[in-house]
Amino acid sequence: MSPALLPFFRWADHTWIAMWIRDSTWAFALIEVFHLFGLTLLLGTLTVLNLRLFGWGLKGYPLKSVAADALPWTFVGMAVSITSGILLFLSEAMKCYGSLPFFVKMGLLAAALLFTFTFHRHLTKADAPSPVASRCAACLSVVLWFGVGLAGRAIAFF
Amino acid sequence: MSLYAICQALQDSAVGTSIRESIWTFPIIETVHVLGLAVSVGILVMLDLRLVGAGMRDIAASDIMHKLKRWYLAGFTAMFASGALLFWSEAEKCYRSPTFRIKMIFLALAGLNALFFEIKYVPTMKSWESSGVTPSGARLVGWFSLICWLGVVGFGRWTAYGMK
Repeated sequence: MSPALLPFFRWADHTWIAMWIRDSTWAFALIEVFHLFGLTLLLGTLTVLNLRLFGWGLKGYPLKSVAADALPWTFVGMAVSITSGILLFLSEAMKCYGSLPFFVKMGLLAAALLFTFTFHRHLTKADAPSPVASRCAACLSVVLWFGVGLAGRAIAFF
Repeated sequence: MSLYAICQALQDSAVGTSIRESIWTFPIIETVHVLGLAVSVGILVMLDLRLVGAGMRDIAASDIMHKLKRWYLAGFTAMFASGALLFWSEAEKCYRSPTFRIKMIFLALAGLNALFFEIKYVPTMKSWESSGVTPSGARLVGWFSLICWLGVVGFGRWTAYGMK
């Protein structure tokens, strides 16, 4: 990756948190477990919302109600996975620097977050969003977030 | 044939070996396992949160159960099928892994808990839902389910560490 980013990754790799996680036998595994809990909550609740947005699943309910019920838990999942994700990143920052899937994941994550808090959020708040826009938004949301998961899994394997 | 011998034979079988030694198959199966989990357990967690009364006042628990059934069943199918293949490829290691055993216990408890809910509370669901009060037993089922699935996911992830 761009050498301009190298000092940042090197700094992250040398923080006391990173060293503490690396020195500990259980910390990394335990943080990974929380990362997975967060991901389950995030993807599960978002799937329910996206199914409704597409016109499937809980279609008897107004989109607004499904969003109001699901999204707070989506955000909890997001907070848990991002917090634990930052810790995991610090502990193996130099490995991430050399990992293509990591950069793909970060790109997808940025896109997914931006999309969720702008266009997607705007649609799920609307009274009667256009069906075409809703379906496109639901598909894009699923592709982006599952892409994040997929690329994340790939960091460990490649 | 002892359980250990069966696990050993599974792991040493052609299918088990080819999954374990593959470049792509193992990671793909693992990914299906994790993403299937996110969908199925994620929806189930929503149902549990609804039962215990943690937000979600708008959607009825019975609707989460019925209208989303095909989706979480699809997720569970993907998760169980991929899980069986992962086990096949590392059966002997699983046998020796204490965390894998704990995971299986949590999985069995989650299944029994769901069965109990199905028998005890689902038949009368319409009436207790319309009254607006979730029976305390059903709430307890929700809490227990949350604990069991946290256990399954947590010890499942931990099992992978023990096997490195």
